[in-house]
Amino acid sequence: MKDDGKKTWEMYCEKELARVEPILHGLGFKLDSEQPHISGERYLMQAITTTSGRKLILLGTHMHDKKRVVIKASSDKDGVRELEHDRNARKTLEHIGFAYQTFFSPQEILFTKQGEFTISVQEFIDQQPFLERSDKEQFHLALKAFKAQESAHATTYKHRRFIQKTLGEKRAKDYFESFDFFKKGVLKEFPDKKSILNDTDKFLKDQEEIIEQYCGFMTHTDFVPHNFRILEDTIHLLDHSSIRFGNKYEGWARFINFMALYNPQLASWLVQYVKDNRTPEESFSLKAMRVYRLAEIMYYYTTTLPKTSGNLHELNMDRIELWSQVLAAVLADRAIPETTLETYKTKRDALRSKDEKKRQQGLH
Amino acid sequence: MKMVIATALYPPDVAAPAPYIKELAKRLGEKHEIVVVTYGHLPEKIPGISFESVDKRNPLIIRLLQFTFKLLSKVRNADVFYVENGASVELPAIIVSLLTLKKYVFHIGDKNAHALAKENILFSILQTLASWRAKKVFHDVPMHRPEFFPFEEYPEEKFREFEASWKKHLHALANTFL
Repeated sequence: MKDDGKKTWEMYCEKELARVEPILHGLGFKLDSEQPHISGERYLMQAITTTSGRKLILLGTHMHDKKRVVIKASSDKDGVRELEHDRNARKTLEHIGFAYQTFFSPQEILFTKQGEFTISVQEFIDQQPFLERSDKEQFHLALKAFKAQESAHATTYKHRRFIQKTLGEKRAKDYFESFDFFKKGVLKEFPDKKSILNDTDKFLKDQEEIIEQYCGFMTHTDFVPHNFRILEDTIHLLDHSSIRFGNKYEGWARFINFMALYNPQLASWLVQYVKDNRTPEESFSLKAMRVYRLAEIMYYYTTTLPKTSGNLHELNMDRIELWSQVLAAVLADRAIPETTLETYKTKRDALRSKDEKKRQQGLH
Repeated sequence: MKMVIATALYPPDVAAPAPYIKELAKRLGEKHEIVVVTYGHLPEKIPGISFESVDKRNPLIIRLLQFTFKLLSKVRNADVFYVENGASVELPAIIVSLLTLKKYVFHIGDKNAHALAKENILFSILQTLASWRAKKVFHDVPMHRPEFFPFEEYPEEKFREFEASWKKHLHALANTFL
């Protein structure tokens, strides 16, 4: 049955919640009655290129001071590893000696192991959703965050030894290996995508030196609004497990591709900013990372197809088609037609489940 | 004139003085033959400018030796030798200057390296020695290239100031080369 993934996830959540709730209560935390971050399409989310396992992301209150908190808990081996990696990455950022700027994260309230569970509790930062801010404010906030990430450039033997032990590093050849993997995965299900993926492959290989030239920078590979919070005009990173050293435009690419759908004006401003203020090679590097990440998202939705049925299956098929069209537009340096985006959004809104719509509220 | 610019930082490094050195090489390259000797894996190219780079990913001693040899081979035939401050350049520059008996223009434009030299005795000695071997120590730093945003008008005034500050800087620099 295609819905097995969802049912398994729901059973997992029910079982884990029943086990973890008394532990959290003993630690002084009370869970909210509604938990949007374990519902909807959450069960499909599995990072492709970073450590990722099953974990609960819960909202609650610290009974001691009534402050709102975000709780991440897992008893799954990979989930525990992800929480530990997230914490190590967070600690690394605090002590990184070769960054010229400071990184901000929500305050850690507790990190503990209780029986089989690893539990991480952080302050909840309430905010006006990113996409509800003015376009200019979004632009300046994003740019400030990208510049902070770029300020950590691992260049020396000592830097590289430090990051290889902690955050990890990706070079041009690693991007090519991952791209080949995505390409094979997509082509197995969608042979008609051969031409566009071959063009992408050729473009990436042609930019090998440029991709390598801008490697060694800190980058948040999942830099999208639901992975950060804004406090006093500064971006606070939430998901540290997605931070690594790689091409400086990998994080930009993820963000701009996301904004191509959610705020095309912002996406186009950021591309233009790089063109106007940085070298032509950097624009190529950004384009290379954009097409790489678009192939990745096509692969991601391809992997969800066997786990979905009905409306969600149809929606994910549409998502593959949408991102394939975006990929074609980026490769050809042309704008994504507004009608393509609007048609997709209308269909998406009609096909999304009630739970997922609820989960999406205020998420970005 | 044949000129050698020795620097620890150069783009794609983002920290100062990397963007300054690139702008300097580009502007001087319009009239002179320029070689940039730097630490880096793949330095950003400028048409008409030559680069000698030493991979920073090598262990410290190896990269210091490589930098010294590369600098020596280029300075031998150069008319002007320009050194940007920073311990990893100052030490090779002093050695090369002693071996070739050529003095250099010493630019203290890297504020972080300069601050480090105030805190660390070894770096402080190096900077003092580097200043002693220089024919001129130069502190002037021109404006950073102004940024401009797609939703704003082109900042003409800021770019005029930027150009003026570079004109002044290059004029002052030309006097040190004499």
